[in-house]
Amino acid sequence: MKNNILLLLFAFAALSCDRFSNKNEKEENQQRIVCISKQYSEIIFGLGAQKDIVAVDLSSTYPPEIKKLPTIGYHRALSSETILAMKPTCILHDNNIGPEHVVKQLEELKIPMKVFGKYQSTIEGTDSLIREMGSYFKKEVEADSLCKKMNSEMQTALQKTTNYKKKPKVLIIHFGRASNVYLVMTQKSTAAKMLEWAGGEMAVKDEKGMKQLSPEIVAAADPDIILLTDFGYDKLQENNEIEKLPGISATKAYKNKHIFRIEEHDLVYLGPRTGENVLLIQKLIHPDENP
Amino acid sequence: MKTPKPALLGLVLFILLLLTTLISVRFGAVNISNQEISDALVNIFSGKTLLDLNHRIFLYIRLPRVFMGILVGATLGVGGVLMQALFRNPIVEPGLVGTSSGAAFGAALYFVLGASFKIHLGEWTLPLAACIGGIISTAMVFYLSQSKQSGKNSVISLLLTGMAINALFLSGVGFLSYIARDPQARSITFWNLGTLSGSYWEGLFFVAIVTISGLLLSLRYAKKLNALMLGEEEAQLLGVNIKQLKMQVLLINVIMVAVSTAFVGVIGFVGLITPHLLRMISGSDNRILIWTGALLGAIVLTASDITARLLLSPAELPIGIVTSVIGAPIFIALLQKTNYSF
Repeated sequence: MKNNILLLLFAFAALSCDRFSNKNEKEENQQRIVCISKQYSEIIFGLGAQKDIVAVDLSSTYPPEIKKLPTIGYHRALSSETILAMKPTCILHDNNIGPEHVVKQLEELKIPMKVFGKYQSTIEGTDSLIREMGSYFKKEVEADSLCKKMNSEMQTALQKTTNYKKKPKVLIIHFGRASNVYLVMTQKSTAAKMLEWAGGEMAVKDEKGMKQLSPEIVAAADPDIILLTDFGYDKLQENNEIEKLPGISATKAYKNKHIFRIEEHDLVYLGPRTGENVLLIQKLIHPDENP
Repeated sequence: MKTPKPALLGLVLFILLLLTTLISVRFGAVNISNQEISDALVNIFSGKTLLDLNHRIFLYIRLPRVFMGILVGATLGVGGVLMQALFRNPIVEPGLVGTSSGAAFGAALYFVLGASFKIHLGEWTLPLAACIGGIISTAMVFYLSQSKQSGKNSVISLLLTGMAINALFLSGVGFLSYIARDPQARSITFWNLGTLSGSYWEGLFFVAIVTISGLLLSLRYAKKLNALMLGEEEAQLLGVNIKQLKMQVLLINVIMVAVSTAFVGVIGFVGLITPHLLRMISGSDNRILIWTGALLGAIVLTASDITARLLLSPAELPIGIVTSVIGAPIFIALLQKTNYSF
C-alpha cells in the first residue's frame, strides 16, 4: 500500500512539473515553429516575432512570458516524438542539440530545420545574427532597433570601462551541483568576454569554458568579487549560508561582502540584452563608480 | 496455488504481449490514428515511397521502438532466468556478472574519448564500444573468479568477483562523467538510464538475430539447468559437465545482454523481477521459464515504455527510471511474501 502511495505521489510530482504541462494553444494551419536555442528564442521575442513559436527548449528562459509556452525538454536530451507532437512546420536550432540519434531521425523524416549563420561570439557577430533573423521573420525594422539599442548600450559600457582605474578580480561560480565542488566559468567562456567589457578580469585563468574547481583553488584565487549564478544563490539566500561554503570565507570578496547574484543564462550567450547585462555587471563589480 | 498448464500460461502471456504491443504502437506523444497505421502499412507493402509525416513517424520511429522493446525485454527476461538458474540464487540478474557496467563503461569511453580515437563506424560505433566493454568485463569476472587450485568457478566467487568488477567499471563511468564536458556527461547519464527512443531498423535486425538465436540456444540448456538446480554434485552424477555448462550459458547471456545494452542503454530490474513472478505462477522448471521469461520480459518492458512515453507526454522519461520505479515495489512485495534465509 505504502509503495502504491509513493508511486502515485511520484506520478503526481512528475505530471505537475511546470513547463512540461503548458498547454499547446496555437491553432491549426498556422506556421508552427519549434525553437531549440535560448539565444534564438530571446532574439525572436525581442523582434516581436513569437506568434508562430509553438514550443521551446527548457533552457529558453528569457523573457519571462516564454515560460508559458510548451517545452520539448532540454536541448541535449531531446526526443523525436516530443518534438513532432508539436506538429512543427519548422525547427530552429543552433547545432547544439542532441542526442545524435534524434537529429538523425528528424533528418530522415525530412522535417524542415533551419540554422542561422554561424557568427562569431562577438557584438558584431550578434548584430549580424539579429539582422539575419530579422530578415527571416520579416522584422527588419525591429532588428535594426534591437541592434542599435545593443550597440549603444555596449558603447556606453565600454566608455565607462575606460574610466575605471582598477580591474577587480572576479570569480563567477555556477554553483548548484555538489556542495563542496564549484563549477567555475573560465577564460574561454562568453562570461569572461562580458566581464572584460565590464572592466574586470577573471580570477581563474583556464582555457576551458567551465571547470570544476576545489575550494582550495577558490580560496587561493582570492577574488575581489564573486558572482554566484541564480540557482545556487537563491538556494543559499534563505539561510544566508554563503560563509559556510568551503573556500569562500577566506576570500576578499566575502570579507568585503562583495558576493552578488547573477542570472546564469545572461552570461552564457550574447543577445539583444548583452549591453544591458554588461552595464549590470559594471554596477556589481565597480560599486564605487556606479552608486 | 495450482500451477497453470504451460500452454495456457503461454497463451495468456502471448495475448498480454499482443495487447501491450498494440497499445504501444497506437499511443505516444504523436497521435497516430488506426486509419493512419493501416494506411502506412498498406503503403509500405505496396511499395509507395511518398508517405505522410505520421506514416513516417509510425514506420521509422514508433514501430522499430516497439519491436526493440519486445526483443530487449525478452533478452533481459531470459537472461534473468538463466542467471538465477545457473547461480541457484534468486537475487542474480544479468547485470551482476559485470555485463551492464562493462557496457556502460564502453559507452562512456566512446562519449568522452570517441572523437580523440577518430573511430568512425557511424551509428555502429557506440553499440560496438558498449558490446566490447560488456564482453571484457564479463570475461574478467569469469577469469578472476576461477580457483587457482581446481580451476573451477564457484558461485560465491563468481558473484563476489562480479560485484567487485561492477564497482570498478561503475567508478570508471563515474570518473568519465566527472571529466566529461556538459553534453558528453548528459549523453552518459541518458544512456545509463536506458532509452528505446533511438531504435532503428538496422539495429533492430541485429538485436533480433542475437535474441532469437540466444533464446533457441538457451532452450537447449533447460534440462541441464534443471539438473544443476539439484546441486552441482547431483548434476555431475546425472552426467552434466558443470564447467562447460557455466561457460556456455554465461557466454549466451553475455552476448545477448551486451548486444541489447549496446543499443538501448542500461535497463535494470526486468531481469530480476521476471523470473520471480514466473516462479510464483508456474514453478521452477527452466524448460517453461525460459520461453515464458522471454514473453513476460517483453510485456514488462513494453508496458514500461508505454508509461515512459505517456506519463510526461509530450516529453518522455528514460525507461530505466520507469522499470526501477515499477520494479522496486514489486520486488519488495515479492520479498515480503517469501521467507528467504541464508
